[in-house]
Amino acid sequence: MGTGEAHNKELVIDEEQTTVKRNGPMKEAWRRLRKSVTAMIGLGILAVFVFLAIFADVIADYETVVISMDGTRMLQRPSLEHLMGTDHLGRDIFARIVHGARVSLTIGLFVTGFAVLIGGFFGASTAYWGGLYDMIIMRICDILLSIPGVLLGLAIIAVLGPSLINLLIALVIANIPIYTRFIRSTVLTIVEQDFIEAARACGTSDLRIIYKHIITNVTGPIIVQATLSIAATILSAAGFSFLGMGIAPPHPEWGAMLADARGYLRTDPHFMIFPGIAIILTALSFNLVGDGLRDALDPRLKT
Amino acid sequence: MPRELMSIENLSVIYKTDLETVRAVNGVSITLEKGKTLGIVGETGAGKTTLALSLMRLLPKATGRITEGRVILQDQDLYKLSEIEMKSIRGNLVSMIFQDPMTSLNPIMKVGDQIAESLILHNDEKLTKEQISARVEETLTLVGIPPFRKNDYPHQFSGGMKQRVVIAIALACKPQLLIADEPTTALDVTIQAQVLSMMADLKEALDTAMIMITHDIGIVAQICDYVAVMYAGEIIEYGTIQDIFDHSREHHPYTVGLFGSIPDLKHKTRRLSPIDGLMPDPTMLPRGCAFSPRCPKCEPLCKDQKPPDRDNNGHRIRCYFVGGAQ
Amino acid sequence: MSTPLTGTLLETKGLKKYFKVPGGWLHAVDGVDFKIETGKTLGVVGESGCGKTTLGRIMLKLVEPTDGQIFFDGKDITKLSKREMKSYRSDMQIIFQDPYSSLNPRMTVVDLIAEPMWVRKIFKTRAETVAKAKEFMSIVGLAKRLETAYPHELDGGRRQRIGIARALCLNPRFIVCDEPVSALDVSIQAQILNLLMDLQEEMKLTYFFITHDLSVVKHISDHIAVMYLGKCVEYSPAEELYKNPVHPYTKALLKAIPIPDISNRLQKEHIIKGELTSPVNPKPGCRFVARCEVSRDDCTKGDIPLVEVSPGHFVSCLHIGE
Repeated sequence: MGTGEAHNKELVIDEEQTTVKRNGPMKEAWRRLRKSVTAMIGLGILAVFVFLAIFADVIADYETVVISMDGTRMLQRPSLEHLMGTDHLGRDIFARIVHGARVSLTIGLFVTGFAVLIGGFFGASTAYWGGLYDMIIMRICDILLSIPGVLLGLAIIAVLGPSLINLLIALVIANIPIYTRFIRSTVLTIVEQDFIEAARACGTSDLRIIYKHIITNVTGPIIVQATLSIAATILSAAGFSFLGMGIAPPHPEWGAMLADARGYLRTDPHFMIFPGIAIILTALSFNLVGDGLRDALDPRLKT
Repeated sequence: MPRELMSIENLSVIYKTDLETVRAVNGVSITLEKGKTLGIVGETGAGKTTLALSLMRLLPKATGRITEGRVILQDQDLYKLSEIEMKSIRGNLVSMIFQDPMTSLNPIMKVGDQIAESLILHNDEKLTKEQISARVEETLTLVGIPPFRKNDYPHQFSGGMKQRVVIAIALACKPQLLIADEPTTALDVTIQAQVLSMMADLKEALDTAMIMITHDIGIVAQICDYVAVMYAGEIIEYGTIQDIFDHSREHHPYTVGLFGSIPDLKHKTRRLSPIDGLMPDPTMLPRGCAFSPRCPKCEPLCKDQKPPDRDNNGHRIRCYFVGGAQ
Repeated sequence: MSTPLTGTLLETKGLKKYFKVPGGWLHAVDGVDFKIETGKTLGVVGESGCGKTTLGRIMLKLVEPTDGQIFFDGKDITKLSKREMKSYRSDMQIIFQDPYSSLNPRMTVVDLIAEPMWVRKIFKTRAETVAKAKEFMSIVGLAKRLETAYPHELDGGRRQRIGIARALCLNPRFIVCDEPVSALDVSIQAQILNLLMDLQEEMKLTYFFITHDLSVVKHISDHIAVMYLGKCVEYSPAEELYKNPVHPYTKALLKAIPIPDISNRLQKEHIIKGELTSPVNPKPGCRFVARCEVSRDDCTKGDIPLVEVSPGHFVSCLHIGE
């Protein structure tokens, strides 16, 4: 191409006059997230739980402390030896909460991760292609969403039998329609933008448009939504365990611990209080972080 | 006899965030006479809208700050008033209309009620319901909408008609001053011409002073009496419409560039003569003349010190090398 | 690819696009015939809702026409499938109006420009593609230090330069410019217009320039078509249209421009009344009747053909000169 350099010199906009502040979008979001006190508190609590979950085996041995019963030290009050006391079978509550964190966080992350992946695929593809395919998938979502989540989960577990894996499957299935809906509506706003049409005008394939131009632009809202729903997932997993449909005893799970403590509420409140606090704090921390992320990832709120 | 309505004295406004300080308006001084129209022209980011908002004391609370200067409206210092006193001035003595008529109206309220709202809010004359209703119809007629449409909702109006409704709301209380921020930018040319001609008629009929904020020099030429050219938060040239549009006179280099950028409808030119470069970053303005980095006449002195206003019978130019007697 | 230096590059015949809306059919484009010569610019002016944007999309087959034909370089491309159309995608490009929504906010400047070339597999390696993208940055006047910047860090003028570089990088012959300067300030607008005109000269580009701004369109166009509610009402060489406008709508449009000159301030007697009528299920005949000062009964009888009033100057009006 014989493009003369002469006039291009004149066109090149002055080099030094303005500086471009070069912060990647993620770095910029992190900077703004750091400014939110509540989000940082949430992140702090979360870090503690993640630490406990990772080093659970170092803190308390599973076989000897967490699941082995000891009739001689039933229902002890919190002491230096047992930080949060012991339960009705003489197990250390703190150790069980630490190991329970492992279960709860795994459930939260695993369920949300799979629901986002599967829901994301359906959401993005229905929004992009539309038509009959869109109609069929969305009607299936409508049907699933019209059944209360707990009922749907109970039905699935009733068919498959109570176990950790089946609980996960039930929660994932209950969450998929929610994500399909959410991601579909987010993608619809992106599809309307000119840069999608620009990509089409270059002959970009549909798949590349979806992953290069659409998915990258919906990650922000999805991360926010996912963070918020991890909390909800942990709560509903605890709910299922409380109802005896989740983790089988003697494995430690916060919801199941609450269920065990039901009969001791008046006499030994510590038995119920500590698992309850653990659930509340985890859910709260995810919600705080999610809210902070929502503000941090919204480019309109520049402060 | 000069009938001074408003004077802005050395007004400076900043937007302060944790990251940076944006110097949006830097030492603006203007006076406006009763019943006259002042056009404020400038490009995006020149500080036009900020200036207008600070006159209304409507700057975003979290970030916007008036650092110095004062605004005198009919012998009242606006920045010394309480928020309650200010509320009685807004919509009553000074009104503002915004660029986008679609978002300025409440979609679920009849337009007649929206016009009546400000009348009820500022009901100093103790008007009865019937009088207010009559006033609404009168205002609608004034902006060229048949009064029977007062019971319609905004979505039943077209874009141009919506902007007329917005203007009717602004004029309901017969304000002394109307600030119009790009009132016709969202409209088609033929509709723009209709709205502009209506505004010109209104101004004469009501003797309302107007500040017309626009980026379109054409609009200024059509309806303004005075012109202020804004650049990087400063008024770099100010004068009567004759001063500014007389090409035989000397002008600020930026004004010259602005005119050179417009394709001429009368003569065929192959290349336009734009101003090179971009407006300076308002977070770090040059020490000297704000226009110096783009100015063809720039000398070392310009980069070092802010040039003073040079005044030639009211035609002010902020430049060392052009302008009248010192 | 050998490009003939003269002759018709793109031609439309009876192009129509109707959209189904509640209450009937919206006639966005209603029987448009154009010829665009190689290396020239056809400007299309009209107010919002006149169908100019839809027309541009149809020409690139981003929107399928309801009826009519499009010929590119003599070949009928109307019925080509998505796959067959791919080979034409490099030849026909588009520059968008909104430099904010037309760039993927998650990609850096150099990636944005490299993307079309990478997708079309112009070069074998990523490095070659990126090198070429950098070359295009300098062609459109983007400084080197902006390579890794994101679009949201840049102003409208620079963003529009990215849009131009993207359109150019596939070495197209035909570019639809959809209001490329409407969102920009005048001084930046002039820079972009100059750039577009220089590039046209050097790369022998053919433009279809859509705008609502009559002074911009005059500056850049060789021929101008004035559209009103899906129809072309006047078509003429650019100079001629401004010297001698014939259709009542064109006249009204020209008089409505606020001219930066105080010698003739708003002449109220020339301002046309009324607003655009609905493009849904339009009545037969002239679309401008409701606002026209010279309209008669015969204006609504049937379609009004474009008639040549002077060499190359076509007008669709039954009462010329009244």
